[in-house]
Amino acid sequence: MSDRLTIEELAALMKSGAGITVDPAEMANRPDSRFEDYGLDSLGLLGIVGELENRRGRSLPTDADRCQTPREFLDLVNSSLMTGA
Amino acid sequence: MSRTHPPRRAVVTGIGVVAPNGTSTEAFWKATQSGLCVLDRVTREGCEELPLRVAGEVRDFDAGALIDERFIVQTDRFSHFALAAADLALAHARLGRSEWEDDPFSVGVVTAAGSGGGEFGQRELQRLWSQGPRFVGPYQSIAWFYAASTGQISIRHGFKGPCGVVASDEAGGLDAFAHAVRAVRHGSAAVLAGATEAPLAPYSIACQLGYEDLSPRDEPDRAYRPFTSDACGFSPGEGGAMFVVEDEASARRRGAPVRAEIAGHAATFTGARQWERSADGLVHAIRGALAEAGCAPEEVDVVFADALGSPAADAAEARAIGEALGAHGPKVPVTAPKTGTGRAYCAASVLDTAAAVLAMEHGLVPPTPNVFDVCHDLDLVTGSARPAELRTALVLSRGLMGSNSALVVRKAAADPSA
Repeated sequence: MSDRLTIEELAALMKSGAGITVDPAEMANRPDSRFEDYGLDSLGLLGIVGELENRRGRSLPTDADRCQTPREFLDLVNSSLMTGA
Repeated sequence: MSRTHPPRRAVVTGIGVVAPNGTSTEAFWKATQSGLCVLDRVTREGCEELPLRVAGEVRDFDAGALIDERFIVQTDRFSHFALAAADLALAHARLGRSEWEDDPFSVGVVTAAGSGGGEFGQRELQRLWSQGPRFVGPYQSIAWFYAASTGQISIRHGFKGPCGVVASDEAGGLDAFAHAVRAVRHGSAAVLAGATEAPLAPYSIACQLGYEDLSPRDEPDRAYRPFTSDACGFSPGEGGAMFVVEDEASARRRGAPVRAEIAGHAATFTGARQWERSADGLVHAIRGALAEAGCAPEEVDVVFADALGSPAADAAEARAIGEALGAHGPKVPVTAPKTGTGRAYCAASVLDTAAAVLAMEHGLVPPTPNVFDVCHDLDLVTGSARPAELRTALVLSRGLMGSNSALVVRKAAADPSA
């Protein structure tokens, strides 16, 4: 599986991994809002990275869990998945 | 520090209870004063084959209705209880954000914990050995930890005052109040203090199976009968309580309900399962707590006993009450409402302290469920609640590892300015 990470999947991961409910449409409209403004802390993002790595069966860049915003995270994850890095 | 002002007094302005016999302070008191026993067969998944049969489970706790979903996912059940109890206590104390947001450093949090987040930890460890390290969630790093509840309460509300966690065995529940009182005397306006436990997941129960004092009986009404010739150990329980402990002058200024004064505390240590020696430890703790409170033994109107439930421990406690209170010892009403809910480790004495404050307010000593024929020289209140004018309560607690604590709680004086 190397399919792209969508806003919808990210929102679902925030819910299952950290208990944070986010409307994907709202996140799509404001992709530069910070994760911390949604209530997602660094442990929460670390858990999302781990879950994504398990789902995709590959490692993500080591700085993935340091992304500050959904846009930054989606860009990094998807460019990594596309290049097969 | 100024030495010219009178000492600051620490009072209770709010109590939040999540217990096996009630998930609100009102429901807890109603069940406690009626002597209801909610000990029952352990029903949690995975516990069916374990040799512990009877415990006090918190069954009607709706975490989703009481706390934010992120805390449900990120924290263990013992923190769920603590977060919910803290909310109840803050509401009781009418201590809203507007009261402290100008000075978040004026409010602290102190909890005691014995088992930590066993259920959360078990789930993640099962993932570790069944799926591998990549499947262990990062919240495991904080959720199992004894300090989790203090941290989560302070984060949730933004309290930046003195925070701490007492890991001093079961008696740590009373020691948490002592820490809160000290913080208040040193200048904090308020401290959220208390303890909650969730020791009834399979892993946590397995950790307790080696305790010699754990009751092996499987009849809920016979498993935990301290101070009787039937005494065969204790049944564990879960849940707990959080209190708002507040500087009396600040509480009076903001018109908060002043429920009781935490007047004295002392703690001793006499070694694991050295029950005979615990008598001396309790005597010294009681004397120390009474001395700090400036309270004579005959002023004690009710004793909330530790009531461990094994013959040597019960005999030691009865002897300690007799020795510390002298001629008053055999006459003072003694009660152990925890025989109806189980011993919730660190939280047991915190629930007793809640019951003590409520007993003083209602003028009613709650009974000791399932206990009838007392074989010690104690006036144990059994059967039904006993009306009495209660101005001073003594709460006792011991731990299986050897800690002993005593707390003196006084009925609130009338508002001097009223």
